[in-house]
Amino acid sequence: MGGNISSLVIDSLCDEPSEEDIAVAALYCDFRDHQEQTTANIIGAILKQLVARDEVLGHMQTAFQKSKRELGGRGLRLPDMVRMLKRAIATLPHVFMCIDALDECLPKNLLELLESLKDILQEWPRTRIFVTGRPHVEAEIVRYFTTGVIVPISPSTHEITGYLERKLEMDTMRDAMSDTLRADILKIIPERIPEM
Amino acid sequence: MRWLSPLDPRRRHQDVRTDRFDSVGSWFLESSEFREWRSGEGGADKAVLFCYGNPGVGKTFLRQVTGPREEAGAITDGWQY
Repeated sequence: MGGNISSLVIDSLCDEPSEEDIAVAALYCDFRDHQEQTTANIIGAILKQLVARDEVLGHMQTAFQKSKRELGGRGLRLPDMVRMLKRAIATLPHVFMCIDALDECLPKNLLELLESLKDILQEWPRTRIFVTGRPHVEAEIVRYFTTGVIVPISPSTHEITGYLERKLEMDTMRDAMSDTLRADILKIIPERIPEM
Repeated sequence: MRWLSPLDPRRRHQDVRTDRFDSVGSWFLESSEFREWRSGEGGADKAVLFCYGNPGVGKTFLRQVTGPREEAGAITDGWQY
């Protein structure tokens, strides 16, 4: 998804002064990284952003070492991660999670992730979850969460043209560009994008 | 804290924001949907905010499409479109 909207949301949460104390965790799903992006690692990555500022960490490290001993070095499993994440949320005033490009998760991981988030939300309904993805993941999201808000996103011609103009200005191979080609790019791409 | 997860979302975030085209998308931060989610006004019923769009260059840009989808809102109970 390019992450644009997610990064805007994350920066807005982190930068805007707020009367309340908030904790923000972000995760960008990436189809190029399926090997490392297991559900346990995703939840773990959210967790480490939240506990970076917290004393719960000591407890977790003990749990991790214990599980390593008992499971022969396999480390923490998803249920352990979810349990620890809930414990971390309990210590924080207000938690925001932003997960970009859910469609880039492996299908199995997506379902595990949604199940885990649902579980967390049931226990801590004040948690705010922001997710993005292609239209087809909507069905899964609606299946896991009974309520929520959906916002469709699509480009305006004006925004596309502005973006293309900027990209053309930054072109490092200007010799290859003619006025005709430039005009075609600015005309044809904005017309086609709404169909993509 | 690599023992918790090898993923490094903060670094990825820095990469994404470096490439970001800042002038687009600010409408979303001003939208009532985002503000309500951010403030927590909607309570548990509005804890989840899902933004969807198609792949392609358009993903970098954000503009809310209103119209037909709003009317379709009643199809799924509990979800607001």
